[in-house]
Amino acid sequence: MAELQVLLQHRNVPGIDGIDVYESHGGYAGLRAALGKERQGVIDEVKASGLRGRGGAGFPTWIKWNGLPKSGPAQHYLLCNADEGEPGTFKDRELLLKLPHMVVEGMAIAAYATRSTNGFAYVRGEFVESAAQLRKAIDQAYRRGYLGRNILGHSDFCFDLHIHTGAGSYECGEETALMSSLMGERGQPRLKPPHGPLPVVSGVWGSPTLINNVETYACVPHILTHGGAWYAAMGTQRSPGTKIFSVSGHVARPGNYEVELGTPLTELIELAGGVVGGALKAVIPGGSSVPILPAEKCAGVTLDYEGCQAAGTMLGSGGFMVFNDKTDIVALMRRTAQFYAHESCGKCTPCREGTRWMSRVLDRITSGAGRMEDIDLLLSICDQIDGRSYCPLGDAASWPIRAGIRNFRHEFEHWVRHGSSPISGFVPPVRSHGPASVPGRQE
Amino acid sequence: MNDIKLVNVTIDGVPLQVPKGERIIESARRAGIDIPYFCYHPRLSMENGANCRMCLVEMAMPRTGPDGTVTLARHPKPQTACSLPADEGMVVETETEAIVKARKGVLEFLLINHPLDCPVCDRGGECPLQNNTLHYGAGASRYIEAKRHYPKAYPLSEHVVLDRERCIQCARCTRFTQDISGDAQLDFLKRGADTHIGTFNAEAFSSLFSGNTIEICPVGALTSRDYRFQARPWDLATQKSICPECSNGCTIKLDHRDGRVLRVNGRINEAVNEEWTCDRGKFGLPSAISDERLTAPLLRDGDRFREVSWDVALGVVADKLKAAGKQSAVLAGPKLANEDLYALQALFHGGLGSNRSDYRMGARHSEVRDAAAKLFGPDPMPTGIAGLEASPWTLVVGADLAVEQPMLYLRLRKAWRFGKAKALEVIPSSAPANTHIGAFAWSSVRYADGGLAEALRSACAVLLAEMPGLTTSPEVIAWVAAGTSPADGIASRRMAAALSVGPGLILVGEDAFSGPDWRAGLVALGHLAALTGSMGSVNLLVSNCNDRGADALGFGDGQLATAGILAGAASGAVPALWIAGADPVTQYHDRPAAIAALEQASFLVVSDIRLTATARMADVVLPSCSVAERDGTFTNVEGRVQRFWKAFEPRGSASPDWLIASRLLQRLGKPSVWFGWRDVLEEVRSRVPAFGEVRFEELDKDGAMLVIQQVVD
Amino acid sequence: MVAASAGRFSEAGLAQLTEIVSHYPDPGGAILPALWLAQREYGGWLPAEAIVEVAARLGRPASEIQGVASFYTMYNMQQRGRHHIEVCTCLTCGCLGAYEVIDELERILGIHLGQATADGEFSLTEAECLNYCEAATVVQVGERYFGGVNAENAADLIARLRGSEECTPVSLSNAIVEAIVPGYFASSAHG
Ligand SMILES: Cc1cc2nc3c(=O)[nH]c(=O)nc-3n(C[C@H](O)[C@H](O)[C@H](O)COP(=O)(O)O)c2cc1C
Ligand code: SF4
Ligand code: FES
Repeated sequence: MAELQVLLQHRNVPGIDGIDVYESHGGYAGLRAALGKERQGVIDEVKASGLRGRGGAGFPTWIKWNGLPKSGPAQHYLLCNADEGEPGTFKDRELLLKLPHMVVEGMAIAAYATRSTNGFAYVRGEFVESAAQLRKAIDQAYRRGYLGRNILGHSDFCFDLHIHTGAGSYECGEETALMSSLMGERGQPRLKPPHGPLPVVSGVWGSPTLINNVETYACVPHILTHGGAWYAAMGTQRSPGTKIFSVSGHVARPGNYEVELGTPLTELIELAGGVVGGALKAVIPGGSSVPILPAEKCAGVTLDYEGCQAAGTMLGSGGFMVFNDKTDIVALMRRTAQFYAHESCGKCTPCREGTRWMSRVLDRITSGAGRMEDIDLLLSICDQIDGRSYCPLGDAASWPIRAGIRNFRHEFEHWVRHGSSPISGFVPPVRSHGPASVPGRQE
Repeated sequence: MNDIKLVNVTIDGVPLQVPKGERIIESARRAGIDIPYFCYHPRLSMENGANCRMCLVEMAMPRTGPDGTVTLARHPKPQTACSLPADEGMVVETETEAIVKARKGVLEFLLINHPLDCPVCDRGGECPLQNNTLHYGAGASRYIEAKRHYPKAYPLSEHVVLDRERCIQCARCTRFTQDISGDAQLDFLKRGADTHIGTFNAEAFSSLFSGNTIEICPVGALTSRDYRFQARPWDLATQKSICPECSNGCTIKLDHRDGRVLRVNGRINEAVNEEWTCDRGKFGLPSAISDERLTAPLLRDGDRFREVSWDVALGVVADKLKAAGKQSAVLAGPKLANEDLYALQALFHGGLGSNRSDYRMGARHSEVRDAAAKLFGPDPMPTGIAGLEASPWTLVVGADLAVEQPMLYLRLRKAWRFGKAKALEVIPSSAPANTHIGAFAWSSVRYADGGLAEALRSACAVLLAEMPGLTTSPEVIAWVAAGTSPADGIASRRMAAALSVGPGLILVGEDAFSGPDWRAGLVALGHLAALTGSMGSVNLLVSNCNDRGADALGFGDGQLATAGILAGAASGAVPALWIAGADPVTQYHDRPAAIAALEQASFLVVSDIRLTATARMADVVLPSCSVAERDGTFTNVEGRVQRFWKAFEPRGSASPDWLIASRLLQRLGKPSVWFGWRDVLEEVRSRVPAFGEVRFEELDKDGAMLVIQQVVD
Repeated sequence: MVAASAGRFSEAGLAQLTEIVSHYPDPGGAILPALWLAQREYGGWLPAEAIVEVAARLGRPASEIQGVASFYTMYNMQQRGRHHIEVCTCLTCGCLGAYEVIDELERILGIHLGQATADGEFSLTEAECLNYCEAATVVQVGERYFGGVNAENAADLIARLRGSEECTPVSLSNAIVEAIVPGYFASSAHG
């Protein structure tokens, strides 16, 4: 199987970020097609496509869209989750940078289908360039009548689209934390069912709110242009369509690759030029939050939601990281733990305390002062976080560490026994505890 | 309230019917099942709650399959009972193996960074963290890394000390300042394991209600500077009481040891203060009743006082009073109990034939009250404090409610927060730019000096213009027409819009009518009340502890008011004056006049708990009891009579004023039938119609309301 | 509506703030963008006065604004170097030489992670995943991402940055504000 480019097909066409070139390559045909249908017809088309959310959880997109009120006052908000922060993932950044109109068009279609009047693209603060590209695209779309009042002459369709930038917080990618952040609060999650309402019932400012990932929206124009059935014909039955994988690490040609869902994992590695610098040791297929797969478990794994789950990992966000046999897994896990400790929002006890604890234990192990019982202690901390935190960040912090130990326990034991890496010549960085300590910051 | 839907839930096998949406932690509590928690607090918002994860339970919901069969679907993750709304068919388990483990895990996490300095912590012995650890925690910690360190005992304000190392980030204090007091002075800073609470730029935590955060903090992170290291909780005795520091009548608990009140905590009373206190009461009361107390009667001896026995002192007083007879007079202070006031009346009216008593120290206080009573009736707070929540709007005239009426302020804020009420404010332009109510007021109308009447008139004008159907009198129409152009057009317009929905509540501060043009203001208020149908709901707020009681007892209805009594003392028309618990030298609006009068008084007896400036001028000083040393009742601003209890014995030979009056009656040959304060209260109930419903047996609960007297035209 | 108050916001900044506030049904929504604006107007960081000004202009308590600002890593609660260098050391970059880049930068600048040079020109810190892993090692300085940084070309990066008006906390904040504020047509389209 080769690359199958739907979203990325024109990414290298000069000027595709501008509206003229975008239109000449079929741009905004999806929006026109959508406006030729009833609103429910658009949702049905998305249902027929089988599209599942590309933000990580793979939730059927049409069900969310269908959940917004279909009558009554339409103060609905449409949010685009462009906070891409999952380590190893860089698809949304490139989509916004090179194909911003595709995202705008997808949002406009979703706005029409869900009677949304106001949209916000929540763009990660660090993505300055991508935000500027999106700004340009939005301004152009307004001028062409794809946004604003009575879009394309449709008397009953007005949609304003704004950009809201984050300011440095991974947790704000979690949908309810994103809503908090959009409303000007600390980026902490909000109550969800069964404790509070679904966003589509009551989200930002108490109004029905739809939130989807950048890539999810980018799929929508193609589905409307070519039909849901066409989209569903790609990929597998339960995971239809294509998916962008951000391939990085020890491969010859890192980058974003769009393939059909169901593509064998090993093929994706080949697409990216194969493993470099040594033999394959492990793959993290869906961003840092998903369990690591040792090389010997990679064969036969297909890249679709079910295939990954069967292999004991997850498709996640498609952040596909490849590691060769010079990689020290314990050091990798230490860096992973540091990430979650730094990004924990601090709201709930298990994640706030547990992530920092794990990070400290792993610091100690990689400083040569590990104890054998620390390995089970780490597993136990994982158990004490997993499933008990307020939002899934706690779970996401525990899964990789648990999988790291399960699959590479001997490397942890080596560190404890010898006080040094099982990888000859590997010296772990002696660092502060991550970006928390920044210049001038003192208590 | 009959639209509450009941649902069936099962908690630990116990079937229950509970209101739909009730938090499971509450349902469980009612069924006698304790679920441990830290961050949960029923009066604080849920949005920033559910964070400690101590209350995890397992939950399952019935699910109907495609073939119609119903199975129980267990939720894969444990759920927080504090935020879980009860729903039909919900099945909850609180003690499964998984939950027991989860609790141990949460406690271990909470303790890894905790300093474990319980021996020197004020919270020790009454600490939820200690208690939950004892019940649900593991025996040992596995944590060997370095703990988080912050400066210890950081002074947040003159009252509150913060120990960040003990904080468990439960967000109770931050939510209190955001949800309840509204000053939002505390918030979290940073994130993750570095999350900690603080004020903006580490400025002083200057909330008027800061002390509540000490009480709701589930660990020893927030402690009281006054109480720090004073006692261990198990060495303290606790007595129920009523705070005498203002007219709101908060139910409180006095924690005391060795005849000293060391700490004041709130006591739950849904009718008045819910469970809150204000800092004035919480921190002011202990020192107000503990320092420099009188312990024995004093008799003037030239420039000095000499301690004498009660027998000698009462002998002198009785002689002087008897000699003065009906020319004698009495002034009573703000913290005298209903029983004191009644007994003093019995002594002066019944014993001496005098009709000269008053309790008011303000300039125009009695005049205004009399005029207002004619207009609005004598007791117009039909809603009561709790009823503020149901009023569609509350108009506050000339008062900074948060300072003057702290619990009314908290209720009004609560009413606003739950979207049920609009707060309207009409305040002098000299009031601070950011008034407390201003932060959430629907409209704030400001008037220049003397402009109250005009401000109210312009609101009435808008009201009349926008609501043509309004029935009113030609007199009002003419009055409105005579107005000048509105001072603050937009604010008046907003205010009128709120007023137009129907009757609401009008609260008037004591300072609203202090100017020379007070009559015009009162008339305007009358018209506004009439136009909005709120005639029976205008309350001229009293600010002292038992002003309402004194008023209801007719203590201010004598033929001489305070000014007349003082003038009489100076002129000799009042040959004998008893000042009970009052200090006109510092409290009377015209202090020089009070001092001059008392200098010339021929006989002055003062009863008080301390040697006040007034007492220093007395011929005889009698030591009386503080609220902690006796029983009795106070009547609060809404007319609620509430009981307080003796916590410990009086200092020295101090005695409550009612008992002093009783002993004097005896000396006058008119012995009373009171063997205790209850007998006085019983007599009040049978003799004073307003107290007709005040039954001793009921005082223990929410107190008893005064009977509202109808205005007799 | 933007409340008037004494402060340091420029005329242009105030106009931008007014526009931004209009995007939200509640001025609270404008807190994050207003902090970006403030960070630009106050020279690349948020001293207490900046917090006070944002709080006053949006009608929110200063404690809340400080709580929000200190939550996010890109608001500088302390002054940073004029070029604040953030080296991604997360999974991919960390495996592909990020730590060597840091060693080299520390050597060139004569400072350690978490410090600033004496002339205030540079400060250096680690970053979490910058999500440009294909170009590991990735370095963010102000509004720019630099990909493919390694121990060999680190010195070139420093030379390029030294004295530059770009890639500062101010230019970063300004770039973000410019992305948030719509072009003239867009603003009139919904004004
Ligand atoms: C800690 C955490 C971080 C997340 N970060 C992102 C993110 O950066 N981008 C994203 O699209 N979704 C992210 N998600 C998933 C979102 O919560 C949400 O599921 C998604 O935006 C829904 O969009 P979709 O249905 O189109 O996938 C994150 C979830 C969690 C728990
Ligand atoms: S799991 Fe808890 S602390 Fe972690 S990000 Fe979610 S709410 Fe915040
Ligand atoms: S009491 Fe429920 S999470 Fe704290």
